[in-house]
Amino acid sequence: MTTHTVTLTGLRAVYGTGTRRVTALDGVTTGFASGTFTAVMGPSGSGKSTLLHCAAGLDRPAEGTVTIDGTRLDDLGEDELTRLRRDRIGFVFQAFNLVTTLTTAQNVELPLRLAGRRPPARDVAAALDAVGLADRAGHRPGELSGGEQQRVAVARALITRPAVVFADEPTGALDSAASRQVLRLLRALVDDQGQTVVMVTHDPAAAAYADRVLLLADGRVVDEMDGEITAAVVAARIAEREARPSEHAAAPAGPSC
Amino acid sequence: MLSIRRSVSAFVAVAIGVTLVAAATLLLASGRPQVPDRLARAAVVVQSPEAGASPDSFVPTRPWSATTTAKLVGRLAALPGVAAAVPDRTFYAQPLVDGRPAGTDGRREDAHQGHGWASARLGGLRLTAGEPPRRPGEVVVDRALGLRPGVPVTLLTAAGPQAYTVTGLVDGPGVHVADEVAATLAPGVRAIGLVLAAGADPERVATAARGIVGADGSVLTGDARGALEPRNDARTRWIGMQVLTATAALAGFVTVFVVASTFAFTVAQRRRELGLLRAVGATGRQVRRMVYGEALVVGAAGGIAGLLVGGGLAPLLGRLLVDTGFEPSTFKVGYEHWPVALSLVAGPVISLLAVWSASRRAARVRPLEALRDAAVEQRPIGRLRIATGALLVAVGGALSVGTATAGEARVAAQYALYAVMALVAGATVLAPAVVGPLVRMLRWPVRRPGGAIGMLVRAGVSTATRRTASIAAPVLLTVAFAVLVAGMVRTTTAAYAAGRADNVNAGWIVVPDRAPGLSDQAVAATRGTALLPTTVYESDPNSPPANRPLTALGVDPAGFAAANRALTVVAGSLNDLSGDDTVVLPASANRQPAEPYALVFADGESVSLRVVAVVTDDSIPGDLLLPRSVVRAHDPSALTSTVYVEDRIDPPIGARIVDVPGWAAEADRAEDRLVWLFTLLLIAVSAGYGAVAVANTLLMAAAGRVADLRLIRLAGATRRQVIWLVTAESALVVLIGALLGGAVAFVGLLSIRAGLAEQAGVPVDLVLPWSVVGGVVGLCLLLAVLASALPTWRSLRPGPARSPVGIVG
Ligand SMILES: Nc1ncnc2c1ncn2[C@@H]1O[C@H](COP(=O)(O)OP(=O)(O)OP(=O)(O)O)[C@@H](O)[C@H]1O
Ligand SMILES: [Mg+2]
Repeated sequence: MTTHTVTLTGLRAVYGTGTRRVTALDGVTTGFASGTFTAVMGPSGSGKSTLLHCAAGLDRPAEGTVTIDGTRLDDLGEDELTRLRRDRIGFVFQAFNLVTTLTTAQNVELPLRLAGRRPPARDVAAALDAVGLADRAGHRPGELSGGEQQRVAVARALITRPAVVFADEPTGALDSAASRQVLRLLRALVDDQGQTVVMVTHDPAAAAYADRVLLLADGRVVDEMDGEITAAVVAARIAEREARPSEHAAAPAGPSC
Repeated sequence: MLSIRRSVSAFVAVAIGVTLVAAATLLLASGRPQVPDRLARAAVVVQSPEAGASPDSFVPTRPWSATTTAKLVGRLAALPGVAAAVPDRTFYAQPLVDGRPAGTDGRREDAHQGHGWASARLGGLRLTAGEPPRRPGEVVVDRALGLRPGVPVTLLTAAGPQAYTVTGLVDGPGVHVADEVAATLAPGVRAIGLVLAAGADPERVATAARGIVGADGSVLTGDARGALEPRNDARTRWIGMQVLTATAALAGFVTVFVVASTFAFTVAQRRRELGLLRAVGATGRQVRRMVYGEALVVGAAGGIAGLLVGGGLAPLLGRLLVDTGFEPSTFKVGYEHWPVALSLVAGPVISLLAVWSASRRAARVRPLEALRDAAVEQRPIGRLRIATGALLVAVGGALSVGTATAGEARVAAQYALYAVMALVAGATVLAPAVVGPLVRMLRWPVRRPGGAIGMLVRAGVSTATRRTASIAAPVLLTVAFAVLVAGMVRTTTAAYAAGRADNVNAGWIVVPDRAPGLSDQAVAATRGTALLPTTVYESDPNSPPANRPLTALGVDPAGFAAANRALTVVAGSLNDLSGDDTVVLPASANRQPAEPYALVFADGESVSLRVVAVVTDDSIPGDLLLPRSVVRAHDPSALTSTVYVEDRIDPPIGARIVDVPGWAAEADRAEDRLVWLFTLLLIAVSAGYGAVAVANTLLMAAAGRVADLRLIRLAGATRRQVIWLVTAESALVVLIGALLGGAVAFVGLLSIRAGLAEQAGVPVDLVLPWSVVGGVVGLCLLLAVLASALPTWRSLRPGPARSPVGIVG
């Protein structure tokens, strides 16, 4: 059995109270094996982002536990959690990834600087080079295109060598060429560095870069694919689920692993 | 993380604050007592014993009698190193030029002072023409008067106009008469100047002089001789000091306040960025430290800028202070070290204090906020905040009551300032909680048919309560301050005037005009009831403090009783106030009729008096009553302040006639004028500041809202609609601030009125200077509308779709 970098057990997440109460996650148990690329899919509002936030320690679930690299997040205080995020976790969001007042290079070295280290300029240049932005080190986010900004965020995830990178619709705002570039970079993290990547996406073509696909609906894992994943297969499975919407609620919780 | 754009507002706010603090403290440090020019050549001056009063009462020292003076002069002149010991005599003498009192600049006390010719030597005065005065009737005058030696001149003295002949001219204010004449006009002496022989050491002479004088005076050298400055100058300087201290304190407070709201605003605007920092691994403490670091840099830079501007402005302001009467004409601006140091420290300190609450909020930003829109804040107001706000408001209320019940006007003014500060701080802290309900109440101004704009305005203002609150805060501050302070000053003035008029039972009142007081001849011409004030000193060795100064009023008992409605005799009879040794005391003096009572008079003589009557404390506008003749006998230069007359008469030279309400209103007019000027100055400081802060915050807000507004445009709003939207939003926010500020001030004013009414025993009307209030609100409104409409207009100009400020959601 492979080791799991991230393990989620019985996650429940609830927003609001009273009549405005929404159950975003309803008992999710799953894991992300180290050195794998997982795509999380599902209809809008199904709880994908919430799952990612809980798994990354950005939010605390109402119930259940998250374990990253053997550390249980619910045991950690706010500062310890922050340090864990800094050292072991990388993020790529759909937008607002970069601090607008910092240059590209400064954004890349930010997590290390926060940890009190100053990365050698060579490392920063190498990371930017890896995402094809070596000549943009001195630019500010306002001077970059959306795809370039996403790639800077990937470079930032590269430089700390985090155990796991979470990406929430990283290609949501990009055209297909820029998307391909970002996805290839994420794929390379897994293949070359042995890092773990978890990515939320709506795009079956993006999911095809993953080793495994989790399908969420109404806060539960309702389907799972691994092995040879192609856009066509994923699209077919999603279409199949949408054809029988009534079964959503009745479907048992997804298989745990 | 420091962005120039974002820091500009905080920088401007700090710079303005430090400018004010620097200018005020530089002026404050410059306001030192000046050695009077008249005594500049006397290296050592012996001064008569201090009056036992608080230093800010500006009572002259207790004079030596003629015999003591003669004895001291003889012994001091014999000291080795002393070339001459000259008693300095000062009395009232004002030359008439073209039949009117000269030296109409009433604030220059030395323009209507007379001296003996011998004392000209103390100031190194030389005749520029003519001869010194040798006989009675001869006088040397200031050549600025335009008189020539040999011409006749009329001097107004305490006795009345006197005919003199000009024998010489000097280059200095005041008149000089023969020494024997000076000795009869000013029998009591308060200073003896020692002119030293060439090469004599002042300190050594001073030590020897101390041995001679002992406890009967003090010996001053060097800058310490500043204690001899004219009492009016000292008083003016003291008023100036109060004004400057208050201005500096207010500026400091307002700066902290405005900078705090600027920082709060910046943090609110940066939630997404701060959230991102937290997400990629910044701890709360790191975020906090970062915010502090930025504040420090901004504060230091703003402080230096403020110091430079303030240092440059100080001389101009100094001149202004002299012109308005807040500083004596001898005032000069110098650059001391401590104000510079203080201003340098003030910038960073103000900044750090101001950023405290914002930094806490910044540290609490959660990582997830990187992914959410920043406009909606999760927790509008905390319980701690409500408690703090309530506490501040309670303290402010208590201080307001203190204001109203404080005995002295100066103390009251200080209380008032602190009360305003507490109330305003409280209201600001509470503002976010009140904004929501208030907006719902204020729906009408923006409700229009179809109301999309109205909906957007209301939603914008009430969802982002903190943003609204931080824009409204400076308006709140400004309006509360203006209403409270202006209302308090007006109400108090009116209340005092009402009380004064109520006590007087006369048809008309004769008061001095362009002269410090009325002469005996002028009083006789009016045939009214006169008050002749003089300063006397309690000489009871058993009741400290020694030499306690008292204001004695020389009166004619029958006339005084008739003109004074408030008079209540507790024991004895006022009619017995006629002998050379009689006195009437207030109840608080704790004496019974027939008891002895010793006083030292202006001529330095100690006299034992007999108490003939005791009256209630508020019966007399002074400390005790004496027969008029007794005052005149001991103080040849005493001047009458007020004469009550039955019918309207033609006023004599140097006098005016006014009716009772007019007199009551103007009784303290000079002081009221200063207080009102002072009030306007403070209001101007805070209003100017508030308006700048409003504009500042709105400019920042406009920059942050470009994206939102673009969206609204894309959704189909015309450019005019969007401009109308931001204008309405700003106006609404200013209105909210003005309402909150007005409410806070009103609460304060009500408690002040209650206290005043209690004190005066008559109902007191609340007087609100609407012009000031209107001006302040109008200024804020104007700047707010400009600061929001202009940048919006510019940013919505057709042009490249991409926003210049980074990524846009
Ligand atoms: N801050 C919040 N407050 C209240 N409800 C929320 C909040 N965030 C999410 N929700 C609700 O929780 C549920 C899950 O939201 P989540 O963002 O995880 O969905 P998602 O699968 O990421 O959707 P999408 O594909 O549209 O991004 C939704 O019903 C959403 O309305
Ligand atoms: Mg989502």
